[in-house]
Amino acid sequence: MSHLGELLSALVDGELSGAELDRANAHVAACGACRVEANALRRLKHELRALAEVNDSNDITRRLLAMGSLDGPPGLAGPGASVQARQLGRERGPRRRVRATGERSMGDPYSYSGLPSGRLPGRRRGRYVLWSTLTLVVVGVGTAFGMGGSSGSTGPQITPQLEVYDVQHAITSGDVPFDDPTDVPARVPVVAATP
Amino acid sequence: MRHGLLITAVATVTVPGLLAMLAVVGHEHVAAEAGVNAASLDGTPLSGPFPVAPATARAAVRNNIAAVQRADGVPVTVFNRVTVSQKVEGMRLLDSAAAASLSTSYHGTELISQSSVDGSVKTVSQVWHQGGGVTLVETSDTTSAAARPANVSVASSDPASESPEGVFGVTKSLMALLGKHYVAVDRGGGTAVGRKAAVVDLYRFDGSLAARYWLDKQTEVPLRRELFGTSDEVISQDSFVQVKFGALAVSQIAGRGAILAQSHASDQSVAQSAWVAAEPGQILTSLAGKGWPVPGSLPGNLPLYAAASANTASGEVVDLEYSDGLYVVSVFAQRGTLAAKMPGWRQVNVGGQQAFVSGHSVTWAVPGFVYTVIADAPPQTVTQVVKALPRDNSPGVLDRLGRGFIRIARAFNPFG
Repeated sequence: MSHLGELLSALVDGELSGAELDRANAHVAACGACRVEANALRRLKHELRALAEVNDSNDITRRLLAMGSLDGPPGLAGPGASVQARQLGRERGPRRRVRATGERSMGDPYSYSGLPSGRLPGRRRGRYVLWSTLTLVVVGVGTAFGMGGSSGSTGPQITPQLEVYDVQHAITSGDVPFDDPTDVPARVPVVAATP
Repeated sequence: MRHGLLITAVATVTVPGLLAMLAVVGHEHVAAEAGVNAASLDGTPLSGPFPVAPATARAAVRNNIAAVQRADGVPVTVFNRVTVSQKVEGMRLLDSAAAASLSTSYHGTELISQSSVDGSVKTVSQVWHQGGGVTLVETSDTTSAAARPANVSVASSDPASESPEGVFGVTKSLMALLGKHYVAVDRGGGTAVGRKAAVVDLYRFDGSLAARYWLDKQTEVPLRRELFGTSDEVISQDSFVQVKFGALAVSQIAGRGAILAQSHASDQSVAQSAWVAAEPGQILTSLAGKGWPVPGSLPGNLPLYAAASANTASGEVVDLEYSDGLYVVSVFAQRGTLAAKMPGWRQVNVGGQQAFVSGHSVTWAVPGFVYTVIADAPPQTVTQVVKALPRDNSPGVLDRLGRGFIRIARAFNPFG
């Protein structure tokens, strides 16, 4: 008895029709091995679809999946699924989905092409350059502003002794002194310069 | 043609009249606000136009106004029409008043009202003066922008010729300056504080009235003084509210002096500063040598006429006195910077300089120095003075950045 082979995968993917579909279904109903394999493929397909749908909204994960879908390290859901699919002889489903989010060209396995995520590394590099430049400018200008201040000593801190100044002013101006300001004691004894 | 002449004639007569009326209303309004005893000029209220010609009027305009006044029979108030004898007598009266302020004993209550950069300031003072001897002053502030203590007492001695004290700014040294910058005119008799007085007007060279003095007929001591701004506004009024002359005042000084002496003895918080007078020219040269930037004269035609220095707890203080005989500006310069907290002072911008004001005092700091100005002068003059004195010319942002980059470059220069 010959098994379905690649038709099994087509059956699971719903790609058969007409007499071919009837013949495949009849074979699966009669063949336990093909039924088991068909069930395994359906389960795998279901899991991969669910996984891809969950991660579709996560940009970083999507990109990681895209990187790992071809030659990424084992263990990740995407690459693992891809490898399993290849082992099964069919990689259209998962591979198609992976390609929909980001795919390396066959000529250069390290280059990205044709997709929005392919511009991200360049933009990120630009940001690094921009922020580094801005940081240098801010630090440089701040240092220059700080070093550009007055370097001379300002001397002691003084509150003008108005109680003394007022009396001196009164003596020279020939008028009575005003009582500035609040920190003057209630009575200020000041004796003017005597001849 | 006839219409033109008619309009010119009407304008010539009516415009000065209108100006005179405005001046009358303005002066009466100020007098009512001041709340001091009204003074008069031999029965005629001294609230008329003095003069009607504004400070900015050209000589031809002033002469025209004087001609109109003479034609109308009213006193000519433009100074260049004043007789020479009136000028001589006016200056003589002021010189006599300066001498009498020192030699005459009196006791009175003075009300001082001034416009300052910190608003209006009023002070009431009790003054006892022994002729040729001690003067005691007890001052209590009435209104001021800054909070002030209730009472300040000052005892000063002013014997002999070196003491510059006087009454209402009428001192010998200031009267000598006054004659160089103003024209004093004897305006005849008047009354002040219920006493007969001689009235002396002081005019600027542009013909505007600068001040009016009431000098006691009997003793020649000043009873009242009014200062006018260049727009004829009253900027200061000094007046005795009550005054007594003679031996009675001397007897009161003894008792009052004892009280003050006890109070002074119990108060050691204020150091006695002994001011050492210096010749203005020499002190300017000396200060320039030490790197103390101070000018030889101030805006408002205020030359340096006296100087002194004193050693205080916070270092050497230099006192520079600028005056034209009427306005007095004292500049106190000291090395250092202003304290972080300035109780009793208000921070304002004076002529583009961030400063602190309290009453008629202004203080600010420049790198290395603190300047304090105490002025008996119009606020506009004080602003000009602050502008003329050293200011905090801190470099702009670009200058500062440029200097900073140069210093950084020098720091990393391997050949430097």
